[in-house]
Amino acid sequence: MFSLSIATFRERWQLFVGAILTVTLGVAIVQSSLLIVASAGGYGEAIAILGLALGVSAFLAIFIVSSTFAFTIAQRRRDLALLRLIGGSRGQVRRLLLSEALLLGVLGTVLGIPAGQIVLSAQTALLENLGFLPASFSAAWHGWILWVSLGLGIGVAQAGVLAASRRAARVRPLEALRETGAGAKVMTVSRWILGILLVVTGLTLMLVSTAVSNPNGAIPLSINAMVALALGLSALSPVIVPLIGRLTGTLAGSSTIGRLARANLRDGIRRNSSTAAPLLILVALLIGLAGTFATLSQGAHDQLTDDVRGDLVAAGPVAPLTPGVATASTEYPLMIKVTSVNQGDTETDEFPALAVDPATYQQAHQLPLIAGSYADLHGPTVAAAGGKLGSTVRIHVGDQDLNPRVVAVLPPTLNGGPEYLLPRDLVPPAALGPAQSIVRLQPGADPAAVARSLPQPVLTLDEWIAQSDSAQDSLNAGVMKVVMGLAALYAVIGVVNAVVIAAGERRREFAVARLTGFTRNQIIGTALLESTVVTVTGLLLGWLSAMAALIGISGVAGTMVIPWGAFWLTALGAFLVVGATSVWTSRSATRATPISLAGTRE
Amino acid sequence: MDMLQTQADTAVELRDVVREYGSGQARVRALDGVGIGFARGTWTAVMGPSGSGKSTLLHCAAGLERPTSGQVLLGDRDLAAASERDLTELRRKDIGFVFQSFNLVSSLTAEQNVALPLRLAGSKVSMTDVRAILTTVGLGDRLGHRPRELSGGQQQRVAIARAMITRPAVLFADEPTGALDSGAARTVLGLLRSMVDDAQQTIVMVTHDPAAAARADSVVFLRDGRIVDRLVRPSVREVADRLAALEA
Repeated sequence: MFSLSIATFRERWQLFVGAILTVTLGVAIVQSSLLIVASAGGYGEAIAILGLALGVSAFLAIFIVSSTFAFTIAQRRRDLALLRLIGGSRGQVRRLLLSEALLLGVLGTVLGIPAGQIVLSAQTALLENLGFLPASFSAAWHGWILWVSLGLGIGVAQAGVLAASRRAARVRPLEALRETGAGAKVMTVSRWILGILLVVTGLTLMLVSTAVSNPNGAIPLSINAMVALALGLSALSPVIVPLIGRLTGTLAGSSTIGRLARANLRDGIRRNSSTAAPLLILVALLIGLAGTFATLSQGAHDQLTDDVRGDLVAAGPVAPLTPGVATASTEYPLMIKVTSVNQGDTETDEFPALAVDPATYQQAHQLPLIAGSYADLHGPTVAAAGGKLGSTVRIHVGDQDLNPRVVAVLPPTLNGGPEYLLPRDLVPPAALGPAQSIVRLQPGADPAAVARSLPQPVLTLDEWIAQSDSAQDSLNAGVMKVVMGLAALYAVIGVVNAVVIAAGERRREFAVARLTGFTRNQIIGTALLESTVVTVTGLLLGWLSAMAALIGISGVAGTMVIPWGAFWLTALGAFLVVGATSVWTSRSATRATPISLAGTRE
Repeated sequence: MDMLQTQADTAVELRDVVREYGSGQARVRALDGVGIGFARGTWTAVMGPSGSGKSTLLHCAAGLERPTSGQVLLGDRDLAAASERDLTELRRKDIGFVFQSFNLVSSLTAEQNVALPLRLAGSKVSMTDVRAILTTVGLGDRLGHRPRELSGGQQQRVAIARAMITRPAVLFADEPTGALDSGAARTVLGLLRSMVDDAQQTIVMVTHDPAAAARADSVVFLRDGRIVDRLVRPSVREVADRLAALEA
C-alpha cells in the first residue's frame, strides 16, 4: 500500500502542496512558540499570546488539511473505486489514504523544523518589538522539540485525513465505471446532523455566555460558541452557497455569464464550499477575536467611566483637608497572592488588589456592590470580586499571611482591574505600591490651581481613563497582530489551494463550454463571478459566526463593538486573493485548445 | 455450445434476477426475471439496444450490484447474498474486469498495474509471472511505461493482463473495444479469443459492436430487461441484422 501511496504522491503532488505547506507552517509555529514559552518563564503576556497562537495554529492546520483531503478524495473517487474493483478491501483504501497522510505529515515536518527556526526569530523580534519580551531575549534550543514537532506534524496530517478516509472507504466499486467522479452526494446525512448539531451548540453556548456574569467564564464560552458555529456553518455551506448564489445571481441579471455562473454554483457545490470554508473560518476568527477584545476594552472603559466619580487623578497621597478638594480617595495598587482550596487542591495565584480607605473609596466609586457593605471593610476584612460573603480567604501580602473575611462582593472586573480591596491599615506599608488619588473638587474650585498643589503628575479624569485604555489596547493590538497574521496566512493557503485544485478539475468543463460557443474571456468572467459569490458567502457566514462571540461577550461587557475596519480589510483582501487566483487558474486551464481537452477524462 | 448446461459446467448462473432502480412512480425495472448460465470455457457476448439492461446484467453477474430479487451463483456461492468482505475476496480471486475506459492507475507503470491485484490480495508477487503475462499480450517491451505513455490499444492490453494475473474463474468485459480503433480492437479481440481457446477462460462481454460479438461463442440479446434471443457462433451480418430488428 505504501508504494502505491508514494506513486500517487508523485503523480498528484499538486493536490498535496497546500496540505504540506499547512503542516509545515503548523509545525514551524508550534515549535517556535513552544521554544519561546519554555524560555520565557516570567513574561506572562508573551506566554498568553503564544498560547493563543499555538491553539489557533493547531486548529487551522487540522481544519485545512482535513478540508483539502476531503476535496481531493472527492476528486479521486474513481481511482479509489477502481482499487476496490480489482480487489482492494475497505481497510486497504483507508490505509492507502492514511499512509498518504503519513508521507505528507513527514514531509511537512521535515520542512517545518528548519522553518520553525525562521519563525522563531520572527516571533521573538515581533514580541520584543511589542514590548512583551526584553530586547536581549533569546530562546534556548531543546532537543525534545524535534519529537514534539514530528508528533505534531504526523498527528495533524492523520487527524485531518481520518474523517475523509472513513468516507472514502465507503466508495462502491461500481463508481469506477461512472463517467464522472462527482457521483457522491455532498450533503450526507451525517454532514447534516453534524452541521445542525454544531450550529445548535454554538447558539446554546452563545446564550449561556450572555447569562454568565464573570468575564473569565464568558470569554472562553463565547469564543467556543464562535468556533462551533463557524464549523457548523462550514459543514452546512453546501446548502448555503447555492442559496446565496441564486440571490446574488439574480443581481447579475440574465446575462449569459450570470446564467452560467448561477448554474455552476448549483453544480460545483463541493468545490465552492471548499473555497468558502477557509474564508469563513478566517473571518470568524479575525472578527470574533478582534471584536471580543474591542468589546472588552470598551466594556472596561465604560465600567471605569461609570464607576469613578472625580475630577483629577494625582500620583500620590492627598491629605483630606487640601484646599479646594471635596474628597480624595487615595488608593495603593499592589499584587497579592491568594490561596484557594478546591476539593483538596491548594492553588496560589497572584491577583491585582487595591489598598483603600473605605470611607473615601465609596465616595469616588459608584459601581454598586453585589453583596455586603463598605462600612464593614475594616480590620481583617476584604472586598472580593466574585467571592462568597462571610467566607475567609488566605492571602499573602508583603511578608504576611492573613485570613481576612469577605465583607463585600465587588462586581466582576473586565481586563485586569483590582480583584480585591483591602483596608489600608491591613497592608504592611512596605507592600504598598505607588499611591494614586482620585480627587473631587469643591464646587467653584479652580482645577488648575488645585492640581498645582497635588502630588505630580496630575491628570484629569478623562486623561487618566484614556491612559488606562491605551495600556490595555496595546496588549490587545499585540495579540491581534500575531493571531491575525497567522490566521490570514492559513486562510490564504487554504483558499488558493482549493481554487487551484478546483480549476484542475474544471479543464474539461471549461473546454466543453468553449466548444458550445463561449469565448475564453466569458469563461474567465464566469469563473470570477462564481468566486466572487463564494467569497461573499464565506465572508457573510464568517461574520455571522463572529457575531456569536460578540453577542456572547456583550452580556458581561455591557456593550458590543463590531470591528468594521478589520472586516472590510479582510473582505478586500479576500476578494483580491480569490479573484486573482481564480482568474489565473481559469486562464491557465483554458490555455490549450478546447477540442484537445473536451475528450480527456479527469 | 448449448445454453442448457449442467451446473458443474457453469461458471456463473443468474436465476430469475430482477433489478429495479428508484421507487414509487419513478421505479424502473432494468432486469425483469433474467435466468441464464454462462458455461465454463466459453465466451458469451451480451447485446441489446441502449437501456435494454445489458450493463446491469453484467454488474449483477459480477457482484457489483445486488439484484432486487433472484440469485447469482458463482460456483456454489450466491453473490446476491454475499457480504462486502466476501465480495472483496471474490474480486481478488475469482473475477476479473476489463472496461471500455481501461481504468488503469495512472501513477503506476504497466508492470505495477498488473501486479496490483496480487498486492491487494496480499499474495506473493512473482515479477516473472507479471512479465510473462505482459509478454503474452504483446507488451514485453513496455513494462516500465505509465498509462499515459501507451496507446489506447496498449492500455487495454495492460488492463487484460491485470485481469488475467489472478487467473479468475470469469472475466467480465464491458465494451472492451468501445474506445479503440479497428486495428487495436482486432488485436484485443484476438487476445480474448486465444484466452478462451488456449486456457479455457470464461468470458462474459457486453458490447454494441457486431464485429466484436461475432468473435464470441454465443450472443445473447436483451430487450427491456429480458433475454429475447440467442445466437450460437453467428456471423457479423447475422448479429447486425438481429440487433437492427430489436431496435426497430
